[in-house]
Amino acid sequence: MRTDLLIVGGGPAGLNAAYKAASYGLKTIIVDKWFSLGGQLRQQTQSYDHLPQHFAKLRGYKLADFLIDRLKPLDVTILEKHTLIGAYSDGSVGVTNEKDILPIDAKNVLITTGAMEEPDIFPGWTLPGVMTAGAAQILINRERVLPGKQALILGSNEFALEVAAQLHDCGIAIKGIVENRSELLCQNEKLIARISNAEIPIVLNGVIESAIGKGKVEEAYVNHNGNNALYDVDLICVAKGITPILEPFEVMNCDLIYRERLGGWLPEYYGNFETTNPSIYVAGNAAGITNMGGILLTGEIAAISAVESLNAASTVQIKEEKEYLWNELYRIEYNSVLEARLDVINELHNEKDAQLPPLVDSLNGRLING
Amino acid sequence: MDKSTIVCRCEEINIDEIESAINMGAHTFNDIKRLTRCGMGPCQAKFCMNLVRKIISEKTGQSLKDIKPPRMRVPLGVTRMSALASNKASSVASVFGESAEEGETDHEEEL
Repeated sequence: MRTDLLIVGGGPAGLNAAYKAASYGLKTIIVDKWFSLGGQLRQQTQSYDHLPQHFAKLRGYKLADFLIDRLKPLDVTILEKHTLIGAYSDGSVGVTNEKDILPIDAKNVLITTGAMEEPDIFPGWTLPGVMTAGAAQILINRERVLPGKQALILGSNEFALEVAAQLHDCGIAIKGIVENRSELLCQNEKLIARISNAEIPIVLNGVIESAIGKGKVEEAYVNHNGNNALYDVDLICVAKGITPILEPFEVMNCDLIYRERLGGWLPEYYGNFETTNPSIYVAGNAAGITNMGGILLTGEIAAISAVESLNAASTVQIKEEKEYLWNELYRIEYNSVLEARLDVINELHNEKDAQLPPLVDSLNGRLING
Repeated sequence: MDKSTIVCRCEEINIDEIESAINMGAHTFNDIKRLTRCGMGPCQAKFCMNLVRKIISEKTGQSLKDIKPPRMRVPLGVTRMSALASNKASSVASVFGESAEEGETDHEEEL
């Protein structure tokens, strides 16, 4: 199979990139390992506050439908239940559907494989009933299965509180949100108010000492300011943040870099979101953990870079697109994330003695000057 | 924390086994992997990657930014042998042979 652009990962970044690239006439293939597109949006029932101007405010799963439906009239081939398994020395990418392996010869590859949830360990964490918050959310919103009756949430970031509120709405008693720091990580006031209206207890300076039970979680010890308390729970949801998925980048021989603010290790990339392996691009959470606006916009910037590399649009069009997208990113992305992202870009341009795109350079200045 | 707490659930490797490997001189994830099979199960270190890095950091005093992820190899997940052997253009030999050799030492630590 030959194509102009191969997108690995059909979540919000990949879908949005596909739309942009195919709109400029690029023959595009999306491969996704799951049976339907949309990535993590499929079980998000909340809507997003920080979206680019060209998006209506939609609930997560509706946003996925929108992103998928608008690809229909375009030259986009969708390969669901296909997994990237490796690269060949001639540059083509091996994709398998469990029966065969298809080598795909792509002029550009965009990897939008997103991020994975971070676990946390304590004695008993491998018992059934301990799961990530994301897993619990898939169970209630997609599979329509209640994962338990009484739950503890470990972690207090925005996602932890969102899932706590959703589980509560499903009738699960949330016995506590356990956070080892002295304050909540979530800064979304609306969400904090929802938790407090639901009378969900927040246990700061707390850690889960252990989960115990025969064959499944039945009780958990929580250490709070040095005192152990026993909780009757059959569900523990771990929400300790997310980190970029790295395997595809290692297999494609892209160099990695460590930035705590962006979620840990991630591929290095230039101002056009190209990795250290030419024609391999990255976007979305795989390029550093950000908000939904950042995920959508980086996908589009990477797509424009692919369009530019194939001369599929005029210089003026490309300049306008980039200006709009980078300005939106500046408006929407949390400053600390954008700073860390620009730092990754600056470092690679310095290292390779490559000139910074003027737009990126001007953002450096804007961030410093506030 | 209880040293018998599992870190790598695929291979059932606990904190004690990882710390013992570090005591024996392991200072990278790859060392620990070779000594214990930690991170070599079906999930290929997805779950334990940062847990192990944290233990290495606490035990050796290295900063997290200096502790690399383990080497990741093709195939990137559980894949049927029949799929790997499915057609001539992409036989087992080409998928494994081509991707391993050259990249092999690229991301390995300098010893």
